[in-house]
Order: sequence, then C-alpha cells, then structure tokens
Amino acid sequence: MAELIQKKLKFEVEKYTQMQKDVSKSMSARQKLETQLTENNIVKEELDLLDSTNTVYKLIGPVLVKQDPDEAKATVSKRLDYINGEIQRYEMLLKDLEKKSDQQRELLASLQQEFQKAQGLAVGKA
Amino acid sequence: MAASGQLNIDDLAGVVRLREEHKKVTVDTKKLSDDYEALNERLETLPDQLSYDVMVPFGPLAFMPGKLVHTNELTVLLGDNWFAKCSAKQAQKIIGHRMEHVKGELDALSKTLKNFEARVGFAKDLESISANQGDYVDIREDMKCSDTPTTKVRQRIAHKPNSKPKLDAILDVKEEDEEIDEDDTAEGSRKGILSEEELWARLDELEKLEKLEEEQDRLSDNPDINGEDTSSSSSEEEKEGEAVNGVSLKPSWSSVPNSIALPVIDRKEEEDEEKEGDCLPTIFFSHTVEPKKVRINTGKNTTLKFSERKEQKEHIKRKKKNGHTNGHSHHELHKITTPADIYRYVSFVDVRNGEPVPRKSILKSRSRENSVCSDTSESSTADFEERRVMGRSFSHDEATYSDTSDGITEEDSPTTIPLHPPSRFEAFSGTVIEKDPMPSAVPHLTIAPPALPTIPERKQEEVATDVALPQQIPKKVSKFKAARLQQK
Repeated sequence: MAELIQKKLKFEVEKYTQMQKDVSKSMSARQKLETQLTENNIVKEELDLLDSTNTVYKLIGPVLVKQDPDEAKATVSKRLDYINGEIQRYEMLLKDLEKKSDQQRELLASLQQEFQKAQGLAVGKA
Repeated sequence: MAASGQLNIDDLAGVVRLREEHKKVTVDTKKLSDDYEALNERLETLPDQLSYDVMVPFGPLAFMPGKLVHTNELTVLLGDNWFAKCSAKQAQKIIGHRMEHVKGELDALSKTLKNFEARVGFAKDLESISANQGDYVDIREDMKCSDTPTTKVRQRIAHKPNSKPKLDAILDVKEEDEEIDEDDTAEGSRKGILSEEELWARLDELEKLEKLEEEQDRLSDNPDINGEDTSSSSSEEEKEGEAVNGVSLKPSWSSVPNSIALPVIDRKEEEDEEKEGDCLPTIFFSHTVEPKKVRINTGKNTTLKFSERKEQKEHIKRKKKNGHTNGHSHHELHKITTPADIYRYVSFVDVRNGEPVPRKSILKSRSRENSVCSDTSESSTADFEERRVMGRSFSHDEATYSDTSDGITEEDSPTTIPLHPPSRFEAFSGTVIEKDPMPSAVPHLTIAPPALPTIPERKQEEVATDVALPQQIPKKVSKFKAARLQQK
C-alpha cells in the first residue's frame, strides 16, 4: 500500500516539475516579448522623427537592405501589434499553467498525507 | 519563532541575491549612460573635419592606417535590426532620446533598490526580534470565545454596577442591568456570573430581609466601624438598611470588581512571567477569572483565603435551599468576591465568656479570645454554624480597617460588621466563635474605598452614595447603641 502510494507520489511529482518548467519557459518568453515591445516602440518613435532625407535600412542577416521609410514605419507598427498579441497569448498560457500547477500541488499534498499515513500504518504493523 | 527565524534568514538570502542582481543591472545601466555621454561628445567634433586619419582595426590583432570619410553620415541602429542613415546632429538627437530612456530605467532601478533595502531592514528587525535580542516584545492576547453569545452583554452588566452606589433602589439596579446589557467589554468571565448574580441578588434580598429582622433583635454594635468605613468602597458594601437594594446590587458589584481585578492581576502576573528566552518575549493577556486569593486577617494571625465568586453563588443558592439555616458549608464560605465578602468570613462577633461580643475589627488579632483561632478548621466549622450573618456592610479596605480599628477603643462596642448573608459564607481557616449572630442591624453604610481598580464613575457614584449613607447611619447607630446598652 505504501509503495503504491509512493509510486503515485513520484509520478505526480514529476508531473509537477514538468509543469513548473513550462511555467518558467513561458515566463521567459513573455519577458523577451516585453523587451521587444519596448524596442519597437522606440524604433517607431525614431522613425517618426526622421524625415525623408535619410534612408532606412533593415538588417537581414549580414546584409543591410534599403527600406522605404513609410514601409519601414508600417512594418514596425505591424510588428508591434504582433508582439502585443503574442504577449496576450503567453499571459493566458501562463495563467492556465499556474492553475494546473496549483492543482497538481494540492494533489501532491494529499498524496503525501496518504503516504505518511500508510507509512505510519506500515510501521505500526511492523 | 524558530520557523519565522528561518523564514527571515531565507528572506534575507533572497533579498541579498536580489540586491546583487540589482546592483549588476544598475552598474550596467550606468555604464551605458556613460558610453552615450562619450558618444555624444564624439559626435560633436566629428563633422569638424571632412576626413580623419585613423588606425583601422583589422580583426582582433591588427590595425591599418586609414581615413575616416563622410564624417557627417551615420548609420544609426534604431532598434530591432532597423537602421537609419542620419547626419551627426540627427544622431545626436537620437542619442538624446536614448539617454532619457536609460535615465528613466536607472531611476526605476534605484527605486526598487530602495524597496529592497527597506525589506532587508524589516527582515533584520524581525530577525532580531526572533532572536530576542531587540527590545521588541510580542504582546498577544488570546481572545476566548465567549461561552455564550450573551457574554458581551453580560460583561456590560458587570461593569455598570460598580459605577453606581449601592444605595440605589431596586429600580436603579434594574436600570443598571439594562445599561450593562448594552455595554461591550472584553471580559467574558462575567457573563455567566451575571445570570447567576441575578438569582443571587434575589436570594440575597430575601435573606437579608430576614436577617435584618434577626439582627435588630440581637443588637450588635457597629456604629464605629460603619462610621469609619464611610470611605470604603460602596460598591463592595451593602447597607443593611438598604438590604434589598444593596443585596441586589452587591452581586453584580462584587462580580465586577473581582472580574476587573482579576484580569488586571492576571495580566500583571503574566507579564512578569512571559519572558521567553528563545522565542519572542511575549506577554499574554488573558481575561480570566482566576480564583482570587486574598488573605484577610481574621484574627490572631489568621488569614482567610477565599476563592471565586462562583462558589459563593453556589453557596448562596444552597443557602436559599436550606432556608437560611446556619448550615453553611465551610468551603462554600470561602468565596470572597467583594470586600463585603470578607466580613462573611470574618466573624465580627466574638464569643466571649459565652456571650457574643461584637468584635472591633477584623484586623485586630484576638489572641486572648478563644474564639479566634488561627487556621483551626475544627472550631471554625462550629463557629460558623453559630455565626449568623446578618447584615452586609463590609468594608473592603483592610487598610482602612486598620485605621479605623485603631480608632476604636475598648469602650466602644466592637465593630461588628454584618456578615454577608450566610449563603456567601465559607468557612475560613480561622475560627471565630460567635456567641451572638452578627448583630449587624446596622447597615454598613460605610463606603470603603475600592481596593480594586476603580472605574472613575464608580468612585463618583460612591461618593454620592456616601452622602446618602450617612443619613441612615445615625439611625442604625442608635439601634446599636441601644443594643449595646441592653447587652451591657
């Protein structure tokens, strides 16, 4: 009985650790997106400040590609929107993951209790 | 506290790490800011010349002499792999923007750093507290769930009676009860008492009425004591003349001062006791009604210990059942909740030569008297049975008593303080042989200053009652005198 519970406990613990990893992953991804967001905001502002006299380049790999300023502005805006959307998505994901991890934690606690009880019984018997 | 101490340590460690990270970021940001400053300067001077002779780095190890041309054309990284060709001045503008941004970040970082510092400070304080090193003391008060939902109401009642003099008529008592019901105090011990007190009051009224009649017949001398005890707390005393009122009021009063005193005493005791070495020094407050041990000099170095009022109540109830008989159980009388109760235990009527002689003062030792024994339970039982507690008037203040007793001369009739209704009697350790039941026909009009923590209201009202009391005293005195004369 105790062994059974122990196995169960291990399994649940693994699941929980996995969940925690997922949570941390999404957290870091979200943080990255955050930085990109700020960066793109700055770029947007700068592009707005620029006038038509200077050219805009985009770095694609090792190549600097000339870009139309207006196009550049549009691209940056689109990117901004995209980043925002991604952030939202990640937030949702994070919420779900946290909920699941909480549930898992509770399950673990209950299993642990059972395990201890079983152990106590086993000790008592022995 | 160990757990919290552990937590503190963990928090501290976390905070320390956080601090380090924070420092790193701060330093990096500062570096960035410095770099931008340098860049700005460079851009100022760059367009001055058309071209510069420079040593161009060739890989990581070599340099090549070269020229810097197009000094005004700069390809600036806007962010996210976007570049823009700008002049030097425009670049400077961009730099300006970035600088602002960086500075903002720096400020935010410093704010967070301050927060962390504060947290660390708290954690350190907590640590010192848990380590019992600081001057912090944890004060805890365990609130006991009131036994009944009416506890608060009851408590109120307990307080109120003390505030009013005993001379109040029954109506007053009722009013007090009503007022008390509205109050809310934290002393839950009274709630049960009040309900009993009401019964008690009832019993006391009837008993006192009976006893008054008996006492008047017996004639005891208590004028001196009564007169001297005017200063004693009125709350504790009952006037025989106002037997009904006094009786009805007494229970509530007695309960109140006791209950008030007890928590105070308890707290003090607990305060002194609660200095734990390992844990945070804690002062536990508890409003409990503990057996009140009071020592009364009932005679030749005798002391009377009385216990809680509950016993008294039970005693009273029993007494009622017994129909005011002398058969008061010894132990039942040990409940002293009010100063007046003292007189129950202390016999104010000593048996001398087979005759009951009123005793001058309970504080005076009666070495010569046979009736006064110290802690001899055998005789005390017998004496108690003989003793008749007629009136109430107890002077609460023993100190006062001692003063008054000094004033009493041998010539004066020994002050016999009417004992509380037998129901309250408990055998005290000392034995007092009474030849006469307490001739306390004289209502104890003296108001002894409350020994217990006093509620200012109470005092005022007591003063008021004092005024009222003297009026009745003269009458009683006369009776006593008459009795004394008769006895003589």
